[in-house]
Formats: sequence, structure tokens, C-alpha cells
Amino acid sequence: MSTRIEEEGVKGSGPLAGGSEGGQRRPLLSLFAGKVALVTGSSRGIGRAIALRFAANGADVVINHRRAETPNQARQVGIQALCQEIEGMGCRAYPILADISSRESVKQLMAEIADKCQRLDFLVLNAARAPFKPIERLLERELRELVDVNYLGNIFCIKEALPLLEKKDDDTTIAGKIVFISSLGSKFYNPAYPLGSMKAAMESVVRDLSQSLGERGIMVNAVSGGLVKTDSFKVLRQYMEGVDKLPEGLFVQPEEIADVVMFLCSQASRAIAGQTIIVDRGLSNRLYRPLG
Amino acid sequence: MTQGFIDDNRVMEEVKKAIAQTLSIDTEKIRPEDSLVRDLGAESLDFLDINYRLEQVFGIKMARHFILEHMEEMFGEGSAIDDNGQLTEKAVKLMRLRLGQESEGLQPGMDMDQVPPLITVATIAKGVNEILATLPEKCTSCGSPQWKCNDGAPIECSACSQGAAYSTGDDLIKEWLTSVQQEHKIF
Repeated sequence: MSTRIEEEGVKGSGPLAGGSEGGQRRPLLSLFAGKVALVTGSSRGIGRAIALRFAANGADVVINHRRAETPNQARQVGIQALCQEIEGMGCRAYPILADISSRESVKQLMAEIADKCQRLDFLVLNAARAPFKPIERLLERELRELVDVNYLGNIFCIKEALPLLEKKDDDTTIAGKIVFISSLGSKFYNPAYPLGSMKAAMESVVRDLSQSLGERGIMVNAVSGGLVKTDSFKVLRQYMEGVDKLPEGLFVQPEEIADVVMFLCSQASRAIAGQTIIVDRGLSNRLYRPLG
Repeated sequence: MTQGFIDDNRVMEEVKKAIAQTLSIDTEKIRPEDSLVRDLGAESLDFLDINYRLEQVFGIKMARHFILEHMEEMFGEGSAIDDNGQLTEKAVKLMRLRLGQESEGLQPGMDMDQVPPLITVATIAKGVNEILATLPEKCTSCGSPQWKCNDGAPIECSACSQGAAYSTGDDLIKEWLTSVQQEHKIF
């Protein structure tokens, strides 16, 4: 089902690889050396940035994506290029095709991770898919898909990942960590963003799970991103009048969200549980007054 | 009214440019008959990107929703796409009327995911031309009947420089569906 890129990839030549001559695969002091992260929907956009940050910090990364690559070979953002970049940093990349809205597909995804990686330390729930329409205009099929992908899909991932996340290291009482990627749509109205309601639901799930799974050592938190110029922004700008005219300084870089995910996956965040951290360069503070 | 400022060649040129920029391919390699998905490797988000670029160039609003979605909204859920995500006979009948030759591959029972590959470069250009053809007789802002198109593609009012208020791509699809339904009583 998946293909390891290692055979074709560039080994040990990345900036954090610690040099390839001595056979050192990754830096000795990297934050997540020996750990494995799964980032759902990580072939591009925010997920891709998170995957690369994990690798920069020494973790092996499972790149989950829903569709096979497009025939457009000119693109440099493809899954193969991403995996090669991760391998270039001295980490392993495992691209695995799986539609998270299917429980069976998620079971296979986790079975493959267990088989290939033998562990999972970080689960980042980033995958999302939704039509841009007012919620009352969604057809039943669209409503079900909205819930299947953006709510049930995340719950399936959490449930099926638990046996792997619960496996404890010898040197720590904290098991795996779960980070959900939310958006400002969970709190603010946008006429064509039904995904916001699912983000709100998931923020509640994060709060609840932080208690129930926290007792089992699993930390659960969320990061809510502001306006990010990923592929999804191409859609948003057609439904949100004037959004593409906002000052550049209000747009968040995917890497800025990824950095907060790294923080939540590190021991530095050990006292944070069930929270949604907003990363929006202050955009939400300015929503009720004219933007200058 | 039929606008006489921007000809078909200019529209095709801008469509090719928008596709080339979105997909990072050479304009010379794009032919009007190319399928955006099959031949040029476009994904669903690329369609929106291409539309956005064309909107910026011409000052228009391309259709946000595909004709099948409009059918479902106007004639009820299940009218165009059945429970298995396949095209109904009525949807195919309507799309054949709409797309003409480009609809050769359409069959009832076909998976809805197989419809986007039917969209060609020429389909996009046709959509732009249809919107440009809705240039109003008079400026909706000041009532002047004089339009101008200087060095760019947006058409402006000669008197007040207000951009032309065209019908949107979605409005045109809805109007077309309404008139075809009245004539053919498909649903």
C-alpha cells in the first residue's frame, strides 16, 4: 500500500542530519529523535509544514494522504518530493494512502504504522475537507461527508491510534500526544465555511479527551490557525470578499503553526491540557474594528 | 449586450495564461481541446485558482458551483446524482444540452468524479465569454451607455469608471437551467 522513499531518497545530507560520513543518521540532541509522528492530510499546506518540522526535529514521519499523486509532474510539492526532503534531513518518511473517513482505511493505516514503525508518539489531526457553502444549503450527501471526514474521521484516528500512543517509553510517564489542527472558523462566522462547525465540535472533543486520555498519559491539545495562504486559501478568497487584500502581516505562515505543534508535542507543554492555542498574528483581536 | 471589446482570442489567451500559471506549465503546451484533469493534471482546487485568476483579469465572477450542484439545488437532492454518487439519466440529458460535443463521454450511471475530466480549456473560455456577453446596456452606477476597455481586460464605464456589473457564472447556470427546464420539462 505504501512505498518507502528511503531507497531513492537522499540520506543524511539534510541540515540537521549531523553529517553522513560517520553514518550518523540524525543529530544526537534533536528534540524528537527516535520518535514517530503521524500527520493526517500532510501532502501539502499546513500538514506538509508540520511534517517537515517533525523531521527537522529528528522524528520519523508518516505522511498520510487521501489521493494518489496527480499526473502533473511539474509540481514540486508532491508527496515524493516531501518524502525526499524528510529523508534529506536524516529521518524516515512513510507515505501512506488512507481516507480517514473510512474506519477500515484508518485501521489499515494504523496497522501499517505498527508494522513499519513499531510505535507512534505523535498524532496530528490535520486532514480536513468541506464544501464552501452556507450550511443550510448543504445537500444531505455533503453534510454526511462533512461529518464523516472532519469529525468521525478524527475520532477514528484517535481510537485506532490509542494502542500505539499508550505504549510508554522507559524514561517518561507521558505517553503519546495528540494535536488537532483547528481554525478561527470554530469561533467566528463565515457565510461559506461549514467546516467551522466541525472545528468547534473537535475543540470540544479535545477538551474532553484531555481529561479521559490524560488519565492514561496521553496529552491532547489543539492549534487554531488564522489566515494561512495554503491551497485552501484559493477557495476561501472566492467566498470571503476582500480577504486577499488584507495586509500580508495578518497572514500566518504554515511553519508558524507547525512550530506551535512542535511545542505541544514537547515536554515544555507538559502543563497544558485540552487547550486550543490560537496562532493568528492577532487577527481575531481585530475582527470587530476596521482593518487599517 | 454583446461586448465588442474583448475578442475570443484574447479570452483564450488569458485562459491559457491562467492555466499555465496555476499548473506551472508552458502556455504553448496548452490546447483548447485539452482536458484540464486528464491532459494537464489539474485538481479540484486548481479549478478555483484558474477561476480566481480569470476573475482578476476580467473583473467577473466565475461559477462557484458545478452545474450538477445547481441541478441538485434547483430540482432536489438525488435529481442529478443518485445515492451511489452516479449521474442520473436526467442529469446526463441536461448536460448534453449544455455541453454539446464535449459531453460525448457522458453516460447515465457514470461516477460523478468522472465529470470534471470532461472540462476542457475551451469549456473554461466558453464560460468566460458567456459572462462577458452579459455586459449591461448601461452602467449600473451612473446610467451611462458608454463603456471603455483601455489596456486591460476589465471593461469600465466611460463616464464614472465603475467596473462593468456582469451576471455571475452561477446566475447564468441557474438562468439556463430554468429556461431549459421550462422548454424540455426534464425534471
